Amino acid sequence: MQLDLTKMLAKIKDSQWALADIDWDAPGRELVTENAELYPKLKAFMADLMWIEHVGARGFAAMAKKAPTEELREIYRYFHAEEQKHANAEMALMKRWGMLDDADTLPEPNINIRLVVEWLDTYSDQMPLSVLGSVIPMLEITLDGALCKFLLDTVDDPVCHAAFEKINADEARHLGVDFHVLEMLGHGPLYRQGLEFVAKLLDPRLMIGIASYLPLLNKMRDNLVKLGLKEEKLYEAIRKYERVGGTPGGRRNPWFQLISRQGRWVIDRANWAYHVPVDALVKLTARIPASALPAVPTWVKQLTWKPAA
Amino acid sequence: MNDFRIPTLKRKKKVAAVPATPEPVAEMTTVDVLIVGAGFAGLGTAIRLQQAGVKNIAILERGSEVGGTWRDNQYPGAACDIPSNLYSYSFAQNPEWSRGFSGSREILGYVHQLVQRFDLAPLVRFGQNVVSMDFDEASGRWSVRTDNGQTHRARSVVMAQGPLSNSSWPKISGLETYEGHKIHSARWDHSYDFTGKRVAVVGTGASAIQIVPELVKQAAHVKVFQRTPAWVMPRPDYASPEWSKKLFGRIPRAQTAFRELLYWVHESMAVGVVWTTPVTRLFERLAKLYLRSQVPDPWMRRQLTPEFRLGCKRILISNDWYAALQAPNCQLVTWPIANLAPKGIRTVEGIEHQFDCIVFATGFDVSKSGAPFPVTGLGGRKLDAEWSRGAQAYKSVSVSGYPNVFLTFGPNSGPGHNSALVYMEAQIDYIVQGVKKLLDENLKVLDVRAEVQKAYNAGIQKRLLRTNWNSGCRSWYLTEDGFNSTMYPGLATQYRAQMARFEANDYRTMRAA
Repeated sequence: MQLDLTKMLAKIKDSQWALADIDWDAPGRELVTENAELYPKLKAFMADLMWIEHVGARGFAAMAKKAPTEELREIYRYFHAEEQKHANAEMALMKRWGMLDDADTLPEPNINIRLVVEWLDTYSDQMPLSVLGSVIPMLEITLDGALCKFLLDTVDDPVCHAAFEKINADEARHLGVDFHVLEMLGHGPLYRQGLEFVAKLLDPRLMIGIASYLPLLNKMRDNLVKLGLKEEKLYEAIRKYERVGGTPGGRRNPWFQLISRQGRWVIDRANWAYHVPVDALVKLTARIPASALPAVPTWVKQLTWKPAA
Repeated sequence: MNDFRIPTLKRKKKVAAVPATPEPVAEMTTVDVLIVGAGFAGLGTAIRLQQAGVKNIAILERGSEVGGTWRDNQYPGAACDIPSNLYSYSFAQNPEWSRGFSGSREILGYVHQLVQRFDLAPLVRFGQNVVSMDFDEASGRWSVRTDNGQTHRARSVVMAQGPLSNSSWPKISGLETYEGHKIHSARWDHSYDFTGKRVAVVGTGASAIQIVPELVKQAAHVKVFQRTPAWVMPRPDYASPEWSKKLFGRIPRAQTAFRELLYWVHESMAVGVVWTTPVTRLFERLAKLYLRSQVPDPWMRRQLTPEFRLGCKRILISNDWYAALQAPNCQLVTWPIANLAPKGIRTVEGIEHQFDCIVFATGFDVSKSGAPFPVTGLGGRKLDAEWSRGAQAYKSVSVSGYPNVFLTFGPNSGPGHNSALVYMEAQIDYIVQGVKKLLDENLKVLDVRAEVQKAYNAGIQKRLLRTNWNSGCRSWYLTEDGFNSTMYPGLATQYRAQMARFEANDYRTMRAA
């Protein structure tokens, strides 16, 4: 997938929207608040979704420092801010639905998202673009993209649909650039890519990252099942990563090969060699007490549901 | 160099503006030297010309007061980031500087004192905004037109309008839709009371880092919108002790020696600032250490850490910038600005930040390509067209095809590590030699040879490739195409050496009949 990044940057700048463009008090909130079965599950789901936006945001923030051109750097700066906007909009929906315990308190995510955010905040600035540029599309397409779709299939509130129409348009551009970069990362001699790949895999910082990333997908799958949704939809999104990213350039990228291979393992529930240890990791991480985690990074505190500040 | 000392400046005395006494020059009155701009460069040129015996001078000033950029930049906290003892003329030193790094009012006071001491007021024509210059080859005279319809004729012209004279508004969508108060740092609105107001500051350059610490003392809340963080170093500022003032007043050579010391300290910094060397890395480490000591929050530190090589953009000097950003009523916003709305600034994270006032600390519209106003030279050639892809000159002072014209702060004369006034003095003394030659030999044309200018610029551009300014960042030093027409790639000592002697052989001359 080859994009004209100059045109893409212009399009991104022309497509800006603000929370103030949406009428958060429009009728329809009762479609969620009066659904006793959906409401409690949706509250946890929304908190996770909001935090998954952070995963993308922090990833883009790191990629903005790595981008090889000024244009791509600027695009990532915008994507970082847009992910924050999506989180703000999702928080505004939670506010609309009365899901915020306190107007100024952030909802807590599940432990696995928290661990991934923690890793990104600590190490992503030290990771090369080849790693970030390969894994962020997977997270975007499977978590951000797929979860948004689940939400729209489940919730009838027109304000939610209005907000996600804008969010999805942004996400489509994010994925366009994601896969353009994935293709770009496959260029260059294979032997060099292979050597860099092996060298980076042995980096203990990356190993910690992989250990936080693997249980995340399984955890999200479990959460979706709990919500009464079909896990197959998540798998479709995982397959999409391999399908869209599998361009000639993309296939030459060892990180793409590794991540899409891992995606196939996730999809295959019969693959006990993958799922037994990863599910065990999910259970193990669930036991980590909140007090053992460091304080959330200060950038998280910039989140707000208020359209005007 | 002669040491013509100016009278003592009273520290707390309010500096009175030099009276604007427009005395219209009759049309077609010819002066020997017409100087455009009554800032540091224009006034300094007039002083040195007079000292060299050239008396028939006029200075055209578009404002109603002298002082140039120091007249315009009177925002709260405005100060120079070069020590005052070096940011002043060596031929007019001031023993009374109140601080190591003086504020803009004191610097403007110094400029006013220059006018008084050297009796320059009669030379200055206020309210004369130059709109065009044309050379008449037959008579060897320049016709300089101003926007009030007057025409001034001169045997030679010194273009000293300055690079930092036109304020630059950012290209933000919806700029005109904002209904609150707008202030540009270079055109400060002193009548606006910030007390209790919600204020935005757009930009984090040299002006912003001086304005914000002052605004947080007064405003209810300040949000600072940053696009690119700069390298910031602490400023070794101090209040001048009385003994040093007395010493400098009684023994001028002591001040000259101190000035020399400051000069060489700054010269030594070129090793790290102008070129990439281990010293550059050392400076970067020091700047990061300073940031770490000032900002405990890792995310904020990350957002304030530059991603370009030190020296590529202007290095900022401040002791209170980081502290101000962390004040309880201040917030650093690093989200890109989407557009301006009637009530404030909408950033890409979807929030509308609402304000009573927005301060644009977005710098100047520096002319790196094209001419500041239409200049027509030999055979009808247009400077604007010739400079459309980047300005070029010979030794930053002369442009081939535009005889008898001299530039101050012309192309490739900017310093990154030393005082601009050191470079300015070198230019002025070179110009004085050129003007003297023109007048003494009764020349009609004194025009730098095109091949000499071309060879000079080829050398400059080659040397620039190895400097930090051309190391990949975007800055106001470069044109959109990345051409560097602003900075001089070398030491101030090298620049002074090349300007020391007016090389007559480099110029084509034609005597008047």
